[in-house]
Amino acid sequence: MLELRPAGLPVRFYAFALDAMIRWAVLYALAMVLMVLGGLGMAVLLIAFFALEWFYPVLFELMPDGATPGKKLFGLTVLMDSGLPVTPGASMTRNLLRAADFLPFGYAAGIVSMLLRRDFKRLGDLAAATCVVYRPVAPPPVELAGVEPRPPAIVLPPRTQAAIIAFAARLPRLTAERANELASLALQATERSSSDTPLTSAAQLAAVAQWLVGRR
Amino acid sequence: MQVDAFAIRLRTRTPWEATDLGIRLCQREIRSVYRCYWAVALPPFALCLATFEIANWLPAVLIWWLKPWLDRVILFVLSRAGFGQSTTVASVWRSSDVVLWRQLLHSLTLRRLSIRRSFTQPVYQLEGLRGAARRARLRILRQRGGGIAALLTGGFSTIETLLTIGLLSLLIWFAPPGDSPSLASYFVGERAQFFALAYAVCYALVVLALEPFYVGAGFGLYLNRRVELEAWDIEQEFRRAFAH
Repeated sequence: MLELRPAGLPVRFYAFALDAMIRWAVLYALAMVLMVLGGLGMAVLLIAFFALEWFYPVLFELMPDGATPGKKLFGLTVLMDSGLPVTPGASMTRNLLRAADFLPFGYAAGIVSMLLRRDFKRLGDLAAATCVVYRPVAPPPVELAGVEPRPPAIVLPPRTQAAIIAFAARLPRLTAERANELASLALQATERSSSDTPLTSAAQLAAVAQWLVGRR
Repeated sequence: MQVDAFAIRLRTRTPWEATDLGIRLCQREIRSVYRCYWAVALPPFALCLATFEIANWLPAVLIWWLKPWLDRVILFVLSRAGFGQSTTVASVWRSSDVVLWRQLLHSLTLRRLSIRRSFTQPVYQLEGLRGAARRARLRILRQRGGGIAALLTGGFSTIETLLTIGLLSLLIWFAPPGDSPSLASYFVGERAQFFALAYAVCYALVVLALEPFYVGAGFGLYLNRRVELEAWDIEQEFRRAFAH
């Protein structure tokens, strides 16, 4: 199953702010250089302003990451609604329509749209059928050094297996009481071995996790 | 905490995703949130606007000052929404001693100045801890998500300003034709007085509309931090999988 996690207003606000700062920094640097050219320099600067304002996002969104530097830093990416990479046409549409999101002033329309919609889309995203989502990050590998694997007492569906592995991964950061309390909820998975062992229920469940991650 | 009573599917989320979770929670309960918040906040806001007669900058300052206090109503509604309960104005009224009057002085002084207030408010309002226990609790919670909470406050106050100017700019957009005043006339003279009043009214309207989302986003951060510390997501999944 493909799971997309739409990104909401707070993170997109900061991604946008960062991109805006980058654009202004580039313009400032250009202005420093072009100042010596007088009127011609001013003309070039205005063209650069136009190009940066409208094509900076399009250019970066069509790169393999599908994200401007600001979005990339915050772990965001732009996709089509289908989950495919954003197409050139859609990227142009969503960025040209920033003009509509800007109305009446200060991106008010875009802000309201992002706050009220379940998928946090702004008007440009609606028109282009795109969405801004969090880039999936693989969870770090589970560290279970020195734990003897132990098969579960019953057959476990994949979702429950994932929960037991997640439990083992979080074990170092839980208090012993809380770990045992949680493990006692999953007694059915470890029950068979519980009578003949000195291990706590948390340790038994960690052993089952070790078996589930394939170290047998 | 009755984890199995949650009306939210828990999983590990980044702090930014957690703010979105809070906004989603607010969206789902938007009717009861607005009904309760407006019922409580409109009278004080009206009084704040009336201080325009004293000084034209006073209404906005007073509204800004009262925000954290009135946020308690929103948090009350959202915390119940987390368990799938709707809240009516009557239930806010019945709990008004807890929701509105407890920690009143604190809400109007130190809490007003806290940059992470939406994130830490649940500790003050919902956990009922005091003194050293509360300080220890806040220290643990802030270790992750504290920075995002500060960014959240900065972001939402900027957004608040943008929306206020946006609303205000409608006045200029829809000004009658033929009357094209200079920009300076908005800041001095007779028109400036009207403009200051319009600003205060727009600001009040924006706060009434936007504040629940800010409180919601901070509440999401808080919830996520507790999910992380106490592995509520795993408890929820174990209870579902091994239900007898």
